[in-house]
Amino acid sequence: MISQLHQMQDRLEAAPHLLRIGRLFSETVLLQVGADEYYLTFEKGHLVQIAPGPSKKTPYRFAFHTDADALSQFWGFRPAPGFHDIFGMVKIGRAKITGDILSLVKNLRFFKSFMALARAQEA
Amino acid sequence: MTIEPITGRYVTVTVEDAPRRIYFEEAGRGRPVLCLHTAGADTRQWRHLMNDAAITADYRLIAFDMPWHGKSLPPEGFETQDYLLTTDAYIQTVLAVIDGLGLDRPILAGCSMGGRIALQLAALHPDLFSGFIAIEASDFQPAWYDIDWFHRPDGHGGEMGAALVSTNISPFAPEVERWNTLWMFMQSGPGVFRGDLSFYTQDDSLIGRLADIDTVKTPVHLIVGAYDLTCTPEDAKRTADAIAGATLAVMDKLGHFPMSEHPAGFRPYFVDALARMT
Repeated sequence: MISQLHQMQDRLEAAPHLLRIGRLFSETVLLQVGADEYYLTFEKGHLVQIAPGPSKKTPYRFAFHTDADALSQFWGFRPAPGFHDIFGMVKIGRAKITGDILSLVKNLRFFKSFMALARAQEA
Repeated sequence: MTIEPITGRYVTVTVEDAPRRIYFEEAGRGRPVLCLHTAGADTRQWRHLMNDAAITADYRLIAFDMPWHGKSLPPEGFETQDYLLTTDAYIQTVLAVIDGLGLDRPILAGCSMGGRIALQLAALHPDLFSGFIAIEASDFQPAWYDIDWFHRPDGHGGEMGAALVSTNISPFAPEVERWNTLWMFMQSGPGVFRGDLSFYTQDDSLIGRLADIDTVKTPVHLIVGAYDLTCTPEDAKRTADAIAGATLAVMDKLGHFPMSEHPAGFRPYFVDALARMT
């Protein structure tokens, strides 16, 4: 998981249009995959820190909770219905969003695009 | 250079006792098909079918922008109104356009909220139509989001709305058409998507009317994409099952905006639907 997060970090730095879309996004996001926690700190759209948990004292703006299998499907090429989108995963009961959801919605294109950066580009 | 066969004009009709200047496009000749766009978008969703010479050889496709959408201005005094679409206003608008354009019993093809209103009209005004193609349409969809997210002074409703509806676009959609589809939502006027969603997510009056639909007099065909998480195949099936004689097609690789997000994938389903309108 850490290697994929670092890959996403690199791909984000290589995507100037995403950095522009996320230029007002300076927040910490909790990504919970099963029992594993990852605190992702963004600064003006750049992912500046990837801190594995667990942590009970790291504040975060919102959290995306899912499981390893669902995330693996999400990152696959042309995922099955529901696994193709983070809100879709919520709709089919394979993910949950907690915290300040409005902050997520205001930055939804940025965060959706970021989460999809580890997606396979071909079968 | 290519000049497309689609032509656009305006017609002024009366809805809720006030004038509405409606923009409409059309292409083709033959049996009329009136096409209704989804919430937060406009006639451009139908551009590919209207440019399909094999379809327009036998059908006259007409699409119009609902007031507040696309090139149809909102009514006078909109600046002091809270735009909230209602079933009655939507029905009045569709009927006014049919009357204004002199359409004789068109097929009605609507997507999403347009599909919802197509089924309402199948129940309430079947004699004015010769068939109904309800795309990504169901009896009722409660919101799984807060519609007020999409009209607020500290966020861009169009960009947030586009990011939301991207949930319902299939990964099989060509990238260029995915983004053309999302662009319409990004361009949507302030509060328009919210006002459309208010109608779509709060009015459940269709549920009690489905049994009134007579498919012997006017055929009803539903089409739904597997990647539509707003109106799922299960939602469409539940709706079709409640209409005696209605038929349903499920598109495995398409989402909520099939005619716009993946025109080549949608085309055979639309051609099949037209063939069923007898």
